[in-house]
Amino acid sequence: MSLSKPDAALLILGHGSTENPDSSQPCWDHAETIAATGQFGSVHCAFWKEEPSFRQVLPMIEEAEVYIVPNFISEGYFTRQVLPRELEISGHTTSRLGKTLHYCDPVGIHPAMTGLLTRRALEMIDESVKPEETSLIIVGHGTGLNQKSTEAIKVQVEAIAASGAPFAKVLDAYMEEAPFIADWQTLTDTPNVIVVPFFIADGLHSYQDIPVLLGIESEPTAAASQREVFRQNPHAFGDRTLWYSSAIGTDPSLAGVIVDQVAYFDEHYLA
Amino acid sequence: MNLADSLSSLLSAENRLTFGELVLCLDAGGSYSARHRNDEGRAVSDLADLDSVRALREMAKHDEAGEYRPLKTAPGLKSGWHTATDSPREFLQRLDAIYPGLFATWVAYDSGTFPPVPLRDTLGRQTGMYRFAGGITDGMAHRILAELCTPGCLRCITWPIDGTAPLPRVARGAGTLPLLCTEACTFAVSRARELAKEAYDLANPPAPAQG
Ligand code: SF4
Repeated sequence: MSLSKPDAALLILGHGSTENPDSSQPCWDHAETIAATGQFGSVHCAFWKEEPSFRQVLPMIEEAEVYIVPNFISEGYFTRQVLPRELEISGHTTSRLGKTLHYCDPVGIHPAMTGLLTRRALEMIDESVKPEETSLIIVGHGTGLNQKSTEAIKVQVEAIAASGAPFAKVLDAYMEEAPFIADWQTLTDTPNVIVVPFFIADGLHSYQDIPVLLGIESEPTAAASQREVFRQNPHAFGDRTLWYSSAIGTDPSLAGVIVDQVAYFDEHYLA
Repeated sequence: MNLADSLSSLLSAENRLTFGELVLCLDAGGSYSARHRNDEGRAVSDLADLDSVRALREMAKHDEAGEYRPLKTAPGLKSGWHTATDSPREFLQRLDAIYPGLFATWVAYDSGTFPPVPLRDTLGRQTGMYRFAGGITDGMAHRILAELCTPGCLRCITWPIDGTAPLPRVARGAGTLPLLCTEACTFAVSRARELAKEAYDLANPPAPAQG
């Protein structure tokens, strides 16, 4: 993260939620981490379903140059249509309200995500667990709604496998399409299995739905602290052992990937 | 003048400003402070000292009853706290944790660089599940104002329903900083979609099932 742009602002875009108070937290956390480095003149967040909204945020920014990074897991309807429309931008760079706005790729498609997923998985287990006896499953939602997110997961799975990561097997699985995450015990044949959700924030999917599909919760529970579900690792299933991670988007290292997307923009798209 | 300087000069001129449910002060020692209006007159020692953006954002996340507050200008901000700093830039960031972007909105609106967006323009550009929202009647628009905005939000609306009749400009009264709505928010757009969809479903009842 050696990048230094004290005359530019960074704007992180998130989805946010009118129901889940935890949805925007990763964006704010990453913004705080990046702001503390002093790499940008200022760091802001804006949301589709929370405040400041995409429509409100530009007057808050005083720098003439703004790097906009969508904190989204893949390209798709939001990054291609909703965000450009709401910000009134098109293409890679737009002049608007007296500012130069650079629209970066979403965090989830940066090549650094591969290393992040691998490290996250390895951090889940201690030295007594051999990675070569361990399968890694990257889990996504998977419906026709956003084919791009399924694609993004497949790309990561191939990249992790090709990177020489020490796992016995790396595979993708989904909540709502085959291969189904509910079948994790037949999809894998190693004694150990690590499951990492490829989501930008924790929410009902990672707190409730996936734990039920994995069999670590019997029914969706709205526990007082929903994050408890990630503190009960590992889970024993006969002679198999399962580790379940919180959403990859909550990993503190994602702040670095956001900055990496700015550097990627400069290398590839800066006119 | 940057935003923090604007805030600082407004406060230097007036010492005390109300801003939504907040009261902002600049004391003789150069300290900028904010608290809930209901706490005006209470001793600082009786109030929790929230001395960071993070602590204030966390405070503003839920109301007194523990309900999540996704709309930051909904009435019901918690009281019982106090925040103070000597830095106008930090002070602005702390206010943004409670009312995100609302000071910048005021400054941009007041300078004429950020014109209000008519409701029909906002609704008309929606896509996906919100594309129906543009189908509301003026009557439905008034219902949204009466049922959602007036009781549920402290912002003063500056946008007209359509582009033909702009609303009179909002001026800042002495001792106040307005909370402005320059464009319908996600709640209003969602409500418009519901109303348009209800009307459509009523006009197009499902065909009776064929036996
Ligand atoms: S449309 Fe504006 S006034 Fe109405 S609820 Fe939303 S933010 Fe408040």
